[in-house]
Amino acid sequence: MLRSRARRVNVQPLVVAELDDKRLIVVTGKGGVGKTTVSAALGLSSARAGRRTLICEVNTQERISALLGKAPVGPEVTAIDENLWCVNARPQEAMREYALMILKFESIYNAVFENRLVRYFLRFIPSLQELVLLGKILFHLKEKRPDGSPRFDQIIVDAPATGHAITFLSVPQVILDTIPPGAMASEVSWMRDSLVDRATTAVVLVSLPEELPVNETLELHEALSKRVKMHPRVVVLNGFIEHRFSDGLPDGVPPSLKDVARAHEVRAALSGAAKERLASLQLPVLIVPRLYLPEFGKAAIEDVARRLAGAPS
Amino acid sequence: MTSPLRRAYEENSVLITVGSGGVGKTTVAATLALRAAMEGTASLVCTIDPAKRLANALGLEALGNQVTRIGDPVFARAGLAPRAPMDAMMLDMKRTWDEVIERRAPPDKREKILNNRFYQSLSTALAGSQEYVAMEKLCELRATSSAGLIVLDTPPTAHALDFLDAPNRILDFLDNESAKWLLTPALAAGKFGLKLFNLGGSYVAKTIARFTGTETLQALADFMLHMSGMNEGFRERAHQTRALLEAQSTSFVLVTGPMPDRLDEAVYFHTLLQQNKLRVAAVVVNRVHAPVADSLWAEVARLPPSLQPAFEKTLKENEHLARQDGRGIARLAEACAPTPLVLVPRFEADVHDLASLFETSRYLWGDARLEAAVVAR
Repeated sequence: MLRSRARRVNVQPLVVAELDDKRLIVVTGKGGVGKTTVSAALGLSSARAGRRTLICEVNTQERISALLGKAPVGPEVTAIDENLWCVNARPQEAMREYALMILKFESIYNAVFENRLVRYFLRFIPSLQELVLLGKILFHLKEKRPDGSPRFDQIIVDAPATGHAITFLSVPQVILDTIPPGAMASEVSWMRDSLVDRATTAVVLVSLPEELPVNETLELHEALSKRVKMHPRVVVLNGFIEHRFSDGLPDGVPPSLKDVARAHEVRAALSGAAKERLASLQLPVLIVPRLYLPEFGKAAIEDVARRLAGAPS
Repeated sequence: MTSPLRRAYEENSVLITVGSGGVGKTTVAATLALRAAMEGTASLVCTIDPAKRLANALGLEALGNQVTRIGDPVFARAGLAPRAPMDAMMLDMKRTWDEVIERRAPPDKREKILNNRFYQSLSTALAGSQEYVAMEKLCELRATSSAGLIVLDTPPTAHALDFLDAPNRILDFLDNESAKWLLTPALAAGKFGLKLFNLGGSYVAKTIARFTGTETLQALADFMLHMSGMNEGFRERAHQTRALLEAQSTSFVLVTGPMPDRLDEAVYFHTLLQQNKLRVAAVVVNRVHAPVADSLWAEVARLPPSLQPAFEKTLKENEHLARQDGRGIARLAEACAPTPLVLVPRFEADVHDLASLFETSRYLWGDARLEAAVVAR
C-alpha cells in the first residue's frame, strides 16, 4: 500500500509490521480469548495510521461499536471515527446485497428472491449463508471510490471462534467442491483466491496463557494453514502475567501471603509456558498484558493497540 | 441445603450442558459424569466439541464415535476409585449422519444419498446439522445405554439454542409444503432427474440459475427426492427428541464464565430455555475470582516496607477481578431468578485431569462453597 504509506503522518504509527500491507486481516481464536478486543484495537491503529479501515463483525451480538464508545451500527457500513467504519454483517441483508450485485436490478431481486419457494431453496443450499456473509465482506475489498482508489485500505474481520472459523473460511472451497462451474463458481473461486493469497490476507490468532487455549491455537494454526491454506502471520497472547515474586520471599512472610505470591507466580509461569509453546509456530507473538481497568471502553482499546504495536505501557 | 446439581443428579437421567464457547462447558459435563460415577451411578458423557477438549480433560488420546469405558488405571492415577463405571464418547458428525441414513433410508436410496454432494455438505456443513446429530445420538444413547446418567455436552454454538430447533429444521427441510408441491408430480411419476422449475415458468428458474447454476438446483432436487421417503422417520425422531428434552428426568445445566460478554449470553440462553419450558437445574458460573480476605491486607501492612508494594499490587489486582466478577454474578442472579447459581472458583492450573475434575465437582456438589465478592450496585 504505497499510497497509504505516503498519506501516513503519525510520528509513531501504531502498526503491526506483519499486517501493515495486508488488505484483509482475519482475527480468530478460541471463544472468550479477546478476538473482538484485538479486532477493535487493530482497526483503531490502522485508522490512526491514516488508512481507511473497515471492521466487520460476523452475524453476532455487536460489540465493537460499544467498545469504541459508539451506538450500534447494525448491518450498514457506518463511519464511527476518522478513517474508521464498522459493520455487523448479517445473512439476510448480505444475501440481498449479494443477489443485487449479480442481478443488478432491485425489481428482479424482489420478484425472485422474495418468492417463498425460492427462499426455501436458498435456505437449504448448504453454506449459502456463510458464503454471502463472506462474499459481502470480500466485496468491500473490491469497492472503489470515485477517484478509483479503494474504498477501504484495510478490512479487519472479527471472525467466529475456532470450529466455526474453520467452517466459515472453508466455505468457498466447500462450495467449489459442490457446485458445477457457472456464474457463482467464478465468484466463489475469486473469494477463495483472495483468502489464500499471502499478499492480500493475513490471519491473526488470538490466545490466552492457559493450556487449553494454547492447544487450540496450535490446532487452529494447523487447520488454517494446512486445510484452508490461509496464512497466519502473528499470534496475540492476551492477558499475559509477568513474574513478580520470582526472587523468593524472606522467612517473615506469613503463609497466607506466601499463597498469594505462589498463586501469582503460577499464573506468571503459565504465561511464560504459553509464550514458549506459541513460539513453536515461528510467528511473532505479540504480548498484551492482563489489564486491570474499571471499564473496558475506548481507552482500554487504545491501550491494547499500543501494546500490539510494541509500544511501552 | 442440598446443592442444586446434586439434586439434579438424583432426579434426572439426562443432563445437558449448554452455554457459549470457552466457558468450561465440556469440563462441567465431564465433572458431572465423573461425580455421578463416584457416587455410584454408572454415567456416560457425550461431547461433540471439535477441539477434542473432553479427550484432553479425560486424559484420553481419542474417543472416536463410540462409547469408551474409562479404565481403572486412569482413575487410579488420579487417586480416584469410582463406585460405578464411567463411559465417554466424542461424537463424529459425519459417521452419525451416515448411521442415520443407513438406518432410515430405503435400501435402494442409500448409496444415492450417501454419494450426493448435498448430503455430504448437509452432514458436515449445514447450520444446525451438528446440533441435529447430537440430539439424534442422545435419543439413541438414552434408549440403548445402561448408564443411570447421561451428560450431553452441546456444541459451542454461536447461535444460542440451535439444537432445540434442529429436529424441526431438518423436518422443515424434508417436509416443506413448497417442496412437496414441487416434488409431488415427480414422486407420482416415480422418476428421478426431476426438471425443477420447468413446472412454474422459466423466469424464476433462469434467474436463480444465474445465482447458483442450474445443476446445483437439479442436484438439490434429486437429493430431496431421495430423502423424501424418510420424512416419517425424521418426524418421529423429532417428536421423540422433543419429548426427551421436555421429560421430567431431563434438566439443563447452563454454564458461563463471569466476564461481562459471557454473562449477557448466559442471560439470553436462560430466557430461551425458559420460553421453551425446559428445566434449568442451575447456572454454573465457572472460574470465579474469590474475594480477597481483609486479613490479607492486615498482614501486608505488617510486612517489611520493601515487600509491601508487590503484595499490595497483587491484592489490588485480585480484588479488582473479584469485584468485577461479583458485579456480574449479582446481575446474573437477578436476571435468572429463581434458578440457583453455583459458583466454581478459578483454579491455579487448567482443569484437565480427573483429579482436578473431582476437585471441581466438590463445588458443583456443595461440599465446598465459594461466595462471590459483595459489591454495592
